[in-house]
Amino acid sequence: MALLARETAWRHGPVPRDLDGITVPLGHRLIAGGCYLQWSDSGYGYYHAPGEGIVIERPDGADPDEEALWLNGSVYAGVACLNGFLPLHASAVAVDGRVIAFTGPTGAGKSTLAAGLGQLGLPLFCDDTLLIDLHSTAGLIVMPGHKRLKLLPDALRLAGAAAEAPVGAETGKFYARPAAGDLGQPLPLAGLVFLEAGAELAWHPVRGAERFVRLEDDHYTQAIFHEAAQPDRATLFTLRARLAGQVAMARLVRPISVEGFAASLALAAERIREFGR
Amino acid sequence: MTLAKAAGQFTETEIDDEVVVMSLTTGDFFSLTGTARAIWLALDGQHDRAGLIAVLAAEFGAAPDKIAPDVDDFLAQLSAAGLLTGA
Repeated sequence: MALLARETAWRHGPVPRDLDGITVPLGHRLIAGGCYLQWSDSGYGYYHAPGEGIVIERPDGADPDEEALWLNGSVYAGVACLNGFLPLHASAVAVDGRVIAFTGPTGAGKSTLAAGLGQLGLPLFCDDTLLIDLHSTAGLIVMPGHKRLKLLPDALRLAGAAAEAPVGAETGKFYARPAAGDLGQPLPLAGLVFLEAGAELAWHPVRGAERFVRLEDDHYTQAIFHEAAQPDRATLFTLRARLAGQVAMARLVRPISVEGFAASLALAAERIREFGR
Repeated sequence: MTLAKAAGQFTETEIDDEVVVMSLTTGDFFSLTGTARAIWLALDGQHDRAGLIAVLAAEFGAAPDKIAPDVDDFLAQLSAAGLLTGA
């Protein structure tokens, strides 16, 4: 926790154009020699070197909202990967001192479900990116994420969450403070729920090799992990085996509709309390 | 000839009642259940084809000539995937 806080502490300052002798053009990133360098299309620069936190260079006339999106997204994930953490594309809540994470492609409803569970009293653990601490040898320990959810207006209404400031940068989303608060300490990851759309509401445990296969993730954070950690096939297999062997998994299939949300929320809330025990 | 898993060519893990094997050469995954799992686990480098079939026949209470075709099919698949030596 202290390591991640130290390495992701940020300040404004000049950011180099080159890393390892390679010039990074706008809209690209480079991870090399334990360092991270990114330049956005709009000219935001982000640089991290071991022990130095993150330096941000803001271009003249830039959209200030964009700064946090990159910082909390790919830059945060990149620095985490360089420091021994594995990102999962998931939003998560805490239940009795354990973390249950919801994963699925963009638009699957991860944040909305986490927001809805907050209305039922479950505190938010992270939104969109869950970091697994690979330093830990005892169980799978995950790190708390950012304190706010990012939701579209219809998701805010669905989850009964109150909108705060707009996220900006043309996302159309608003920040929302979780109704049951958030947690600030690392906790064990107990369960992973894959969100799917379907006609009938159902909860299906995931067993055997399917647990392994379902850990395939095409989120951008996986690409960052590969660039930062450069794991070989055997290392990736071992990581997946560790996850598949230690975390309960299930599929939550539900109709994507306003009418169906309350029922899917209730089913999720009921099942996750005993999930993985 | 003694049959054995091709050392250094794969990695494996057990999840629930399945064995997941990955070829380190191709990255392909194989999920082994039921008899395929039993054959894989019996490939301990101590038996030739006939010995392996005898071990499996005893385990499943079946006649060797009944299970031989299935064993041969699976061994051929393992060999084609580069996961078997001695075939």
